[in-house]
Amino acid sequence: MKLALKLAFKNIYGAGLRTILNVIVLSFSFVIIIFLNGVMDGWNAQAKKDTIEWEYGYGQLRHKDYDPYDPYTILDSHAPIPENRPDLTPILIHQASIYPEGRMMNIVLKGIPADQQTLLLPTSHLNAQEKQYPVIIGKRFAASSKLNVGDEVLLRWRDVNGTYDANTIYISAIFDSNVPTIDDGQIWMNINNLWQMTDQVNEATLLVLNETSTPLESTLWNFTSQKELLSTIEEIIATKKISSSIMYILLLAIALLAIFDTQVLSIFRRQKEIGTYVALGMTRRKVVGLFTVEGSMYSILALFLASLYGTPFFIFIKKIGIPVAEADQEVGLAIAERIFPIYGFSLVIGTVIVVVLASTIVSFLPARKIAKINPVSALKGKIQ
Amino acid sequence: MDKNLIIELKNLNKSYPVADDSFFALKNVTTQFFKGEFSGIVGPSGSGKTTLLNILGSLDQPTTGSATVLGHDISSLSHQSSADLRNYHIGFIFQVFNLLPVYTVFENVEFALLLQKKSSSERKKAVMQALEWVGLADKAAKKPNKLSGGESQRVAIARAMVKKPELLLADEPTANLDAENAHGILKTMKTLNRELGTSFIFSTHDEKVMGYLNRIIHLRDGRIENDEEISNPKFA
Ligand SMILES: Nc1ncnc2c1ncn2[C@@H]1O[C@H](COP(=O)(O)OP(=O)(O)O)[C@@H](O)[C@H]1O
Ligand SMILES: [Mg+2]
Repeated sequence: MKLALKLAFKNIYGAGLRTILNVIVLSFSFVIIIFLNGVMDGWNAQAKKDTIEWEYGYGQLRHKDYDPYDPYTILDSHAPIPENRPDLTPILIHQASIYPEGRMMNIVLKGIPADQQTLLLPTSHLNAQEKQYPVIIGKRFAASSKLNVGDEVLLRWRDVNGTYDANTIYISAIFDSNVPTIDDGQIWMNINNLWQMTDQVNEATLLVLNETSTPLESTLWNFTSQKELLSTIEEIIATKKISSSIMYILLLAIALLAIFDTQVLSIFRRQKEIGTYVALGMTRRKVVGLFTVEGSMYSILALFLASLYGTPFFIFIKKIGIPVAEADQEVGLAIAERIFPIYGFSLVIGTVIVVVLASTIVSFLPARKIAKINPVSALKGKIQ
Repeated sequence: MDKNLIIELKNLNKSYPVADDSFFALKNVTTQFFKGEFSGIVGPSGSGKTTLLNILGSLDQPTTGSATVLGHDISSLSHQSSADLRNYHIGFIFQVFNLLPVYTVFENVEFALLLQKKSSSERKKAVMQALEWVGLADKAAKKPNKLSGGESQRVAIARAMVKKPELLLADEPTANLDAENAHGILKTMKTLNRELGTSFIFSTHDEKVMGYLNRIIHLRDGRIENDEEISNPKFA
């Protein structure tokens, strides 16, 4: 093996331009695979962190009838908050509409305690004393509804008896969160106010757990763990990863094809050399090994080259982040204006293994033929 | 059995399929070679010299008949034993040198020893000695493309001799050399034959080579025509 490595290195070093091209293309594949996956992993980590901090906490207890994907369940999905569980942050959900500048907008009204510490929502603004119904909204909803801090707007909702009621709410703060699911079409108000407005005192639709929370045995509340809540993000990112892989799969395919082609050509061009190896006492199997190692050596050289220019590039991008286009922010998944890629150990090692393995295989396939070569014909250069 | 007997050929035939017939490159060759011989297979082009040498070196196999080389039946050798036979016991020299272009002179000569897994100090010592034999110690670091034809063939000799094989097979080694270089390498080989006791078998139709041989086997159309001992060669 040591001999094969040494010989392979010499041969590939002596092969000139072709080697350089193969190595360059292959090194691009390395860098792009690691870069794109690093961005996705960075996004994944950022999305999870933001979503935990702003929405999921350490798991949620949802009212048994509540289905977050079905707004018709909202009206009937509420129950009294379990007693002696200050670790649970109750959220009461209600449907309503607002009338900014005379237009009607359907919104989801969410009541949350102003003193909660579990989520990053700036709920202390819900204690604002200036007006009766201070609310907070996210930057996206602020933009789509054209509401600003200090604005007042008419809110209409149906009470438990199904009759309409109306009041003026006051925008006391606009929060900046990457999580669209707590922002788009939502208005957050003090849960005390919502209790009064809906006559559902001490009730909630869902309860958010904090770090110290223990499970709750109850038939009223369905527990969804943080991990289950995050699995949707994982799935979306995984799908995104697959679609972004097209780019480097193509590049890798080109590199592998070039290696394959080089191998086929070199077996033809280097027949006398193959014959000479056999005459000097190598078995043909060993020569196959030599040519295979030679082909996989391209990936080793590419690895060196890739780390040469890739490392500073990766470090630089990690520092400044990737700006995300406005349009890409509309994916329904938490996404920051800049994504900071994460180059995990397993990503780097995994990429190295895949590329080295793939180039070894495409080197081996043509080299395998050497085992069937007649050394006499090879020495005469008569193999077609 | 004579313990100096190193090669025994019995009714050796080698044929190639041509159209729906067979072409015989070697016909019923029966002969013996002995330790320390400086012998040659002589004949016009196409007479079967290379075919015979390749069988002796276990690069090829007889169609029928038997070839026993250094105690091994060539027809029944495994790939590994055949490779070992060449690696340890048989050296090859070709008409076209066949040096490995990406290796230096030193590395070309070192190759067989690497396969033998000799230590680096052993290899260095043996390679430098072999290069001394052929007078190229000062060219050790050169690449083959920087050498003249005569020098290249000397490297090939060093490469074949570095493992001190019992048998050296040289297929028209002077065909690409001028007279001066031809005589040079022949003198070197003759000296190695005397000092190391290596048996040499040439294939040639070069008069200069014949002038050094102690035994000439004349081959014509794959058949041994004549086998002559030469007690006092012209250049010895
Ligand atoms: N693989 C082969 N297929 C068919 N004929 C061959 C093959 N190899 C050699 N021959 C024929 O065998 C004969 C002997 O060849 P060779 O041993 O190379 O002769 P020499 O070395 O004496 O010139 C030639 O006529 C050659 O054409
Ligand atoms: Mg010949």
